[in-house]
Amino acid sequence: MRKITFKKGLSFTARHLFLLVLCLIWLIPIFWLVLNSFSVFQGVNIRRFYPEEWTLENYRWLLFSGGDSIAQFTVWFRNTLTIAVFTCLISSSFVLMVSYAMSRMRFNGRRGLMNIGVLLGLFPGFLSMIAVYFILQTFNLTNNHWGLIMVYSGGAGLGYLIAKGFFDTISETLSESARIEGATESQVFLHVIVPLAKPIIVYTVIASFLVPWMDFIFARIILNSGLSKDWTVAIGLYNMLDRSSINTYFARFCAGGVLVSIPISVLFVIMQKFYVEGITSGAVKG
Amino acid sequence: MVIFMENIKKALLGFFGFFGGVGRDFIKGDIFVKLSALIMGIGFIRRRQYVKGILVTLFQLVIIVFIFSFAIPNLSKFPTLGTVKFEAVFNLETMRNEVNDFDHSFKILIYSLAAIVVLIAAAFFWLQNIRNVRKSEVLSREGKSLPSFLDEVRELRDKRFHVVLLSLPCLGIILFTIIPLLVMILVAFTNYDQQNMPPAALIDWVGFANFKTLFANTATSAFGYAFIKVLSWTLTWAVLATATCYIGGVMVSLLINSAKTKFKSLWRTMLVVSIAVPQFVSLLVVRNFFANTGIVNTYLSQWGVTDFLKDIGLVASHIDYVPFLTNPQWTKFMIVTINVWVGVPYLMLIATGILMNIPQELYESARIDGANPFRSFIHITMPYMLFVTAPFLVTSVVQNINNFNIIYLLTQDVYITTDQTLANVNAKEIDLLVTWLYRLTQEYYNYKMSSVIGIMVFIVCAIITLWAFNLVLKTNKEDKFQL
Repeated sequence: MRKITFKKGLSFTARHLFLLVLCLIWLIPIFWLVLNSFSVFQGVNIRRFYPEEWTLENYRWLLFSGGDSIAQFTVWFRNTLTIAVFTCLISSSFVLMVSYAMSRMRFNGRRGLMNIGVLLGLFPGFLSMIAVYFILQTFNLTNNHWGLIMVYSGGAGLGYLIAKGFFDTISETLSESARIEGATESQVFLHVIVPLAKPIIVYTVIASFLVPWMDFIFARIILNSGLSKDWTVAIGLYNMLDRSSINTYFARFCAGGVLVSIPISVLFVIMQKFYVEGITSGAVKG
Repeated sequence: MVIFMENIKKALLGFFGFFGGVGRDFIKGDIFVKLSALIMGIGFIRRRQYVKGILVTLFQLVIIVFIFSFAIPNLSKFPTLGTVKFEAVFNLETMRNEVNDFDHSFKILIYSLAAIVVLIAAAFFWLQNIRNVRKSEVLSREGKSLPSFLDEVRELRDKRFHVVLLSLPCLGIILFTIIPLLVMILVAFTNYDQQNMPPAALIDWVGFANFKTLFANTATSAFGYAFIKVLSWTLTWAVLATATCYIGGVMVSLLINSAKTKFKSLWRTMLVVSIAVPQFVSLLVVRNFFANTGIVNTYLSQWGVTDFLKDIGLVASHIDYVPFLTNPQWTKFMIVTINVWVGVPYLMLIATGILMNIPQELYESARIDGANPFRSFIHITMPYMLFVTAPFLVTSVVQNINNFNIIYLLTQDVYITTDQTLANVNAKEIDLLVTWLYRLTQEYYNYKMSSVIGIMVFIVCAIITLWAFNLVLKTNKEDKFQL
């Protein structure tokens, strides 16, 4: 009897020890980022894992000093926030509209439109970026935040699949009974389905809000003036690690990375709860 | 393949059915139906649907103005992409450079495509209009009252609500996805590159010459060699990255969700934190972490690992660091490993959701039948996971083919190729097709070749998707799992 509990205890410890080691491996780079953000030494510390001298100066410099011609963190943050709010508004409404129409309504050409969507998804996204850049240029929208908002939200309707999967799972009888009571399709959408779709709306809103914070490819193509005050957080931080500036900005980069990561992580953790729900119900129901 | 063909057949039938319907309505309709092919609103005005009649006629006027002021000037230059070269002449009187009225080839290309898209849409509207006029005629013949304009607007909130829902998103997709994509496909058939850059130079159509370049190896161009190399690494990478992340993610999630594991949400949160940090932050950190003179190398040489790796031949003897991100083999290994770091938490989340969805009755009955946990894993968990995640696996292979971030962020400015043949065509051993494409456009302005590569990426992705979905459909075990 005793032997069994001992064996069980051993496997219990081994299992949890293994998980602990696994999680630590996953967190090492994050630890390194956080530790370096408190470093007095401004370059990449290659002698030790942790800084020799500690300071909060990097954070103060980013947030309150106004920065310099290379790094203007507060300006970048404001830019990205503006872009993110508008992108979020436009693209989440696009996604919800398309997914509702594709999931709950039946009309001529529905299949065809969905097939076109699949086809477009097979092209690498930034193949068309060069053409988008020239189109925006003819309308004077390059190096302009509205141009970037359009780029982020213009094609948003194509990302409707997860939300559609969710709408598919809502029972048809609800909207049916609303229709019998004389509700129009738009009333069914706004007053029956939308209130029920709260999880997927939260997911869509957060996912589209995060796009401008995470993306640096499109931003770098569209905002290519080289003026630091136009940039988003992503391009700004990326440029801080340029070969010529990495030795003076690495600690500040880490501090900036920590600062953007905090709000993003919070939103991300909220979102992932709905992500799983959306993707699994979408996969099962087709 | 059968279902795919069915779909195509249906689409074609619907497409030609539309034209047949228009033809029938045009022949059977009265004089006003026929006249509405000329003046679009006339049939509606005859049936006293004044607002609608005036609106469609106005639309027609706008289109006519569009055709003469925009479509014809651009489309007439489309076959040659312009003939008047850019010239700047210094004017002695005004003391300024004066530019002639030159043709901007790329603008001609974009505007012509936009014109074609608008004209196709207008043509469909025009044909549909004939059908609508005929419908009004039939209704009034039968003595039924025609819907007023207000009624039709009201319909938009009900039966035709999808028009309201879809029009703006579709417009966005046409403007920001379809037209740019078509433009870039056309660029693949031109000579648009650094030597031929509008506005200073004109660009010309060159037919399939760029495609030939991509497959050929000549004394001056090694695109064929580079393409095969990059393509095979892209495919290897896509399969490796998907498989490692999938297996790793499922294992970790099984471990965490096992009944014997305590503090489930703690482990989950710790893993998720690592992906919650934006990739451009975490991957740039990792890149410096593994740099030749980076912290990892410092510790490895302190602990004697570097010397050990030298002894067994994994590190060349003339360097005293591990070339994590500078040697081709090491870099490939590191990219796949770091991708596991990025991908496993995602997969863990998805797998957790699916594992929770597996009907518990299945396990119950298996236990009653005397199956041990291992057997129920093999016979219930595995097939269920594979079935549910099959579409997801296919899409993640396609996504990994296009996985730009990880390779670009880890190797840009760090990795320098030693293979001169590859360097001649601006490729690197660790490039995916998409990172190669990106470098060709952003650093070398070689738009023609990058468009060709983009089309190749599309073809590869399309083949994989079609092949995989047919496989899934053929072995469709849906009924087995639906309760």
